[in-house]
Amino acid sequence: MNPNVMAYFAAGIGAGLVIIGGAAGIGRLAAAAMEGIARQPNAAGDIRGAMILAAGLIEGVTFFALIVTILLAIK
Amino acid sequence: MTALVLALLLQAAPAPEATVPAAPPVAEPAAHAAPPGADAAPAPVAEGHGAAASHDDPATVIMHHVTDVPFLGLPSKHAFFFLLAALLVIVGAQLAVRSYGSKGVPRGVGAAVEGLVLFVRNQIAEPNIGHRDGRKFTPLLCSFFFFILVAALLGLMPFAATSTGNLAVTMALALVSFFAQQYAGISNYGLVGHFRNLVPPGLPAWLLPIMIPVEILSMFTKPFALMIRLFANMLAGHMVITTLLLLIALMGQISWLGGAAMAPVSILLSLFIMFLEVLVAFIQAYIFTLLSAVFIGMYAHPAH
Repeated sequence: MNPNVMAYFAAGIGAGLVIIGGAAGIGRLAAAAMEGIARQPNAAGDIRGAMILAAGLIEGVTFFALIVTILLAIK
Repeated sequence: MTALVLALLLQAAPAPEATVPAAPPVAEPAAHAAPPGADAAPAPVAEGHGAAASHDDPATVIMHHVTDVPFLGLPSKHAFFFLLAALLVIVGAQLAVRSYGSKGVPRGVGAAVEGLVLFVRNQIAEPNIGHRDGRKFTPLLCSFFFFILVAALLGLMPFAATSTGNLAVTMALALVSFFAQQYAGISNYGLVGHFRNLVPPGLPAWLLPIMIPVEILSMFTKPFALMIRLFANMLAGHMVITTLLLLIALMGQISWLGGAAMAPVSILLSLFIMFLEVLVAFIQAYIFTLLSAVFIGMYAHPAH
């Protein structure tokens, strides 16, 4: 098979897998944070800060993988 | 209180200037080095598509939209908007400081900026770095926050480019953040103490061969993640908007009816993403500043 086709195929599948992972992580995080805020509305500010921090870290790992797929697609 | 904020703003004002000279040396060579690579990158894609290897090839258009191009006779569009954003931040900070006047009450720009500066100090710097060190690093964090915000918002203007959508610029920002992290550790504990702090005391000796490489690696992956995160976020939004608008042309190639049917959908979707981009500009400025503060705090006050 044409190596370019394989690369595009891998990039597409990889991007999809990356989004599944990132979405699962951030989804669980947001669910837990919502639950925490609902139980303890006073701590909403602290929980939101911690949530954004963790979301940023998850996002960072997701972007590492996404960069790999982009490199596959454009190289 | 207001005098304190005034002092803070005065401190913040030189900070963008401190960041800017640090950034261009990194940004410039890379920016000059980038165009050949950037021009070369779309070419294999065009060949990969084979038949549609013209200039109007969708992949070429998308890459052309997000990569660095010459602008107004200058070699680099990103460098131009980088300097423009830096200039806006410096001038804005000076105006904000000046608006305090003799009464110590801000007006206009100062009143708008004060809220954000206080937010950076009270919500980002002090909880994460500590009271004393937080004050020390607030000017740097403020200049990160305002530069990233202004650069991202500039990129949403028509005919403009997001300078933080260039890997060289985000690398410069991340390098400044990296040196700030190391400085925080070294200034508090000395060079030897800083490296000894990388591993928590009381660790079993057999764990050291694993922990030391991991910790030294994490020292470099932290700024690397900052660099990639900002770059990818700024790039992704623009790519999505361009792709959505290109759908009109793609459908139009099939028949004019397809293009006409696609146009309202595309424009609504890209408008939505555009609003999202305004949100992302603030969130990314916040996240970059917050993570820098957390990492600085990690080295300034390690676990013990």
